[in-house]
Amino acid sequence: MPAYALEIIVFSLGLVLLLVDAFAKLEDKRSLAWLGMLGLVVVFGLLFKVEPRAADDANVFWRFYSDSRMSLFFKGIAILSTILVLAMAIDYRGLIEKFTAPAEKKAHPQAGLGEFFALPVFACAGLMCMASATNLVSIFVSLEAVTITFYVMVAYMRRNVGSLEAGVKYLILGALSTGFLVYGFAWLYGITGSMDLAEIGAALKSGDVSPTAALFAFSLILVALGFKVGAVPFQMWIPDVYQGAPTPITAFLSVGSKAAGFIVLLRLSAVFLGSEAVAGQVAMAFAVVAGLTLIVGNLTAIPQSNFKRLLAYSSIAHAGFLLTALAAAPRKLEAGQLSSATVVAFYLGAYLLMTLLAFLVVGLVRVHRDSEEIEAYRGLGKSSPFLALALLIAMASLAGVPLTAGFFGKFFVFQLAIQGGHWWLVTLAAIGAGAGFYYYLKVVAAMYWDDPTGAAAKAAAIPVSALTRAAVVTLIVLIVIAGFAPRMILGLIG
Amino acid sequence: MTLVEFIVFAPLLAVLAILFGSPARATAIVAAVANLAAAGLMTLRFPVEVESKGQVIFASSRNLLASPNLNLAFGLDGISLVLVILTVLVTLAAVWASPAEGRIKGNVKLYYSSSLLIASGALGAFCATDLFFFYAFHELALIPTFLMIGIFGSGENRKRTAWTITIFLGVGSLILLAGLIALLVETGGKSFAFADLYAVGDKIPADAQKNIYLILLIGFGILVSLFPFHSWAPPAYAQAPTPVAMLHAGVLKKFGLYGLIRVAMPLLPEGAAHWQTLLLVLLLGNILILGLVTIAQRRLDTLLGYSSVMHMGYVFLGIASGNTIGLHGAVLLMFAHGISIALLFALAGAVRERMGTLDMDELGGGLAKKAPALGLLFGFAAFASIGLPGFANFAAEVMVFFGSFQPILETKKLGALQWAGILSLWGVVISAVYMLRAYRKIFKGPLTDKDAKAGIADLTLTERAPALLLIVALMAVGFVPGLLLKYLTPTLEAIAMSLKG
Amino acid sequence: MQQEFIPVLIQIVIATGFAVATLIASVLLGKRAKRNQMKDSAYECGMLPIGEGQARFSVKFYLVAMLFVLFDIEVVFLYPWAVSFKRLAVDGGQLVVFFSALSFIVILFVAYLYALRKGALEWKD
Repeated sequence: MPAYALEIIVFSLGLVLLLVDAFAKLEDKRSLAWLGMLGLVVVFGLLFKVEPRAADDANVFWRFYSDSRMSLFFKGIAILSTILVLAMAIDYRGLIEKFTAPAEKKAHPQAGLGEFFALPVFACAGLMCMASATNLVSIFVSLEAVTITFYVMVAYMRRNVGSLEAGVKYLILGALSTGFLVYGFAWLYGITGSMDLAEIGAALKSGDVSPTAALFAFSLILVALGFKVGAVPFQMWIPDVYQGAPTPITAFLSVGSKAAGFIVLLRLSAVFLGSEAVAGQVAMAFAVVAGLTLIVGNLTAIPQSNFKRLLAYSSIAHAGFLLTALAAAPRKLEAGQLSSATVVAFYLGAYLLMTLLAFLVVGLVRVHRDSEEIEAYRGLGKSSPFLALALLIAMASLAGVPLTAGFFGKFFVFQLAIQGGHWWLVTLAAIGAGAGFYYYLKVVAAMYWDDPTGAAAKAAAIPVSALTRAAVVTLIVLIVIAGFAPRMILGLIG
Repeated sequence: MTLVEFIVFAPLLAVLAILFGSPARATAIVAAVANLAAAGLMTLRFPVEVESKGQVIFASSRNLLASPNLNLAFGLDGISLVLVILTVLVTLAAVWASPAEGRIKGNVKLYYSSSLLIASGALGAFCATDLFFFYAFHELALIPTFLMIGIFGSGENRKRTAWTITIFLGVGSLILLAGLIALLVETGGKSFAFADLYAVGDKIPADAQKNIYLILLIGFGILVSLFPFHSWAPPAYAQAPTPVAMLHAGVLKKFGLYGLIRVAMPLLPEGAAHWQTLLLVLLLGNILILGLVTIAQRRLDTLLGYSSVMHMGYVFLGIASGNTIGLHGAVLLMFAHGISIALLFALAGAVRERMGTLDMDELGGGLAKKAPALGLLFGFAAFASIGLPGFANFAAEVMVFFGSFQPILETKKLGALQWAGILSLWGVVISAVYMLRAYRKIFKGPLTDKDAKAGIADLTLTERAPALLLIVALMAVGFVPGLLLKYLTPTLEAIAMSLKG
Repeated sequence: MQQEFIPVLIQIVIATGFAVATLIASVLLGKRAKRNQMKDSAYECGMLPIGEGQARFSVKFYLVAMLFVLFDIEVVFLYPWAVSFKRLAVDGGQLVVFFSALSFIVILFVAYLYALRKGALEWKD
């Protein structure tokens, strides 16, 4: 089957979920989430059955859409994160119900929950399209589809001030960055005469294009995509939006949105780095942004006492590592060397596993302990050892402790940087990783060293549903296996 | 599954078993004994295997990644064998010396699993023949140490100490990682296997060698508490629970020294020669400055902590000399020091349990009258640590000193290395001073504070056994050093040759 | 090419300059306003102001307006499609072109059904 059938199926799944929610008299809307998850699992299976397009297929459609291994890998990331987000949403439903419509006005006790299960599926379809987009138009359309869906999801808990504030901030800043993106695309089209990335690349390489104009277009695009992935100095929205949004959506933003932003950034930067005239300055720009992001992301995470906010700052730090991989892209790829794109893809695959594992636990603690502060995690090692162990492994992997997937991600980034001789970036990355040891282990210390305080002291163990338990165990196993055998993920990238 | 893979992964399987409910102490002891048996088997078969298979025996390699070539590869040669024997002995003693399950207030599973994880990490690091896993396995010990010191440590400062050791070791490993990756890049970046690296080794340009060697020296130095990167170690060892202190000071610290011998020196000989003077100055800092600081300690645990840091100076001296006899001494000293310091920490733990404090002024004196076995064993341990002939430490230190003087035969004058050797000899005096003073203050002399010490029981059989095990090992190697030295010779001679040339 | 934009630049400078200059002039030349709370409050024919200055609107206006805009744009997109249908549908491509537009309409129809069922078009509270 052709690759685009996957998006069609996912999108139709979303529509079906909406219709079922509107027309069927469901006792328990969790069945919508289950339906969504099952559908996505089927799509994930179909991902492996995709037939690459015939070499002589000259249909114009393939200028807008790519079905390379890399695209399929990023589609897989999108689908997996959506499945896990839906699983998290099932656990989080109590808070969604509480913070949407007021109790007297509800037609159904779970009113407002159906859409919360359907929207991630639409976002997934958009992310999958972004993974395959090779034309400025399709990049923009899919990017907007994803972003607008996220505006809605972030502000979903409309009776909760934090969620509303997060939504408004995301909307305003997102709209601003979209403006920059469109302006950049307009410039790019203006100087190269085409919207197709391949043709743009050829035009930039040929040297007919004025380098100043190309750099101007690049800087505008860098601003917009830097916003999307959380690069400094465009990262100001991340802490507030991540903290205010519902936890499953924060996880989705952190993984899915970042991955999609990076695949677009990879495609666009490949175009610019292919041109001799501007490649040097483009690499320099990436290096500066990467260095700043590493410093700011890691150092600002240190004083945080709200765990969700800490994870937000840490996601900025991870964007810094990913940008380092981009900045250190080798000019000429030798045999046996991993390309910058492969390293970024691997890092994002590992990042998916460990971030979603962490957020699974964060969501459960939020629902049952009613707090996102690190204080709420005190004594979790005694009261809920399973969750504490899961969070320990997630934090170890995020910090980059060897024999976990996260270490390999950092290792490959270090290797790329050292091969390219970018010793400043290596130093900053090492400082950042060192700072990471502190702030990731802060919650581990709270869980295992301290005894619970306040209300939590008398609380029972946090109940974990079978689905969540299965998800947690699977993620732990995958993190450890990928820590030994990176081939597991690298093989998928091709 | 080869014997080596078994020995590395057995503790991890034991941890999984404990996680799923098997009794913690029993499982841990079974795993440690199984490892000891496997190590014994390997030692017996060593000469036979070397005949048939060459230097690295029980080799195994499972490919995990094609490019760059990454394999889960283990193998044993002389140096690794000696360090593996050290690790299994100390692990068994550490697990044995841990308090019984009823007496641990808190998560028993965590207590025993941590020791096993640290042991597995050390074994994996010593047996790995792949640069990546050599580094990765060592890091396995980081989080268990963090948790153990924070939860079960002694002293009010334990949480801060846990942070200090974790951040220091974390940063140290990152610096080490940068150095190792730089080394990898210089050798072509295609393969992590030691064999492949050695093949390319001497082609690294001299400038790159100097830079990379410095980074590795700092990285390994932080891990081994080389002066001035030592400040994390003494409080950490003082406040850690007994098994963690035994494993860290006894085994884990040797990783950095092993790394220098295994990785840094054969591949970066010119770098090693260039920075030798710096290393000599720093190791003298360890021996003399930290030795004097040790004398000033008022508590037994911090004294042992500083003492273990001080003795690393001798091993560095052996490594710095770069000749056969010095290197033999260095490796033998790694073994001897590991066993003796583990023994000292085990006995100190026993004292702390009985008396509640390790402050030498508060302890009073005459403890040997109430607990004669404890006193006797501590005496043995103290003398071993000083370097009394008959214990392995003496044989090792003698070889280190001879190694530092050996170049005189050619150069006919006193160079930096020789001066370092001369000054290090004073370290023996210093260690005699503090060790004997501690022994006398705590154990000997008239029995003070009779009422407080009325209920003190002597070492039980369970507590004596691990101590005896370690002492027997020390004395056996002390009287017949050839027992271990014969395994070391082929590898160390090859390294010494490559350094000369 | 850059020289052609100079008149634009001059225009921008003059326009901005004029606006800024008049504002500055009025500040410098005018009298200082004597303000107090009474003078600054809203004027409601002598009555004391009650309630909020900006009344809140019911969200139903917004919902209807949003839906109108969306379906209006749908129609707008159908118009150029209809006009260029003949040119697009060459050599048996009619079905593809037709079903593309049909799927677009179906998606929005599903959205319409959903909005209808969820009460977005209900006018009463």
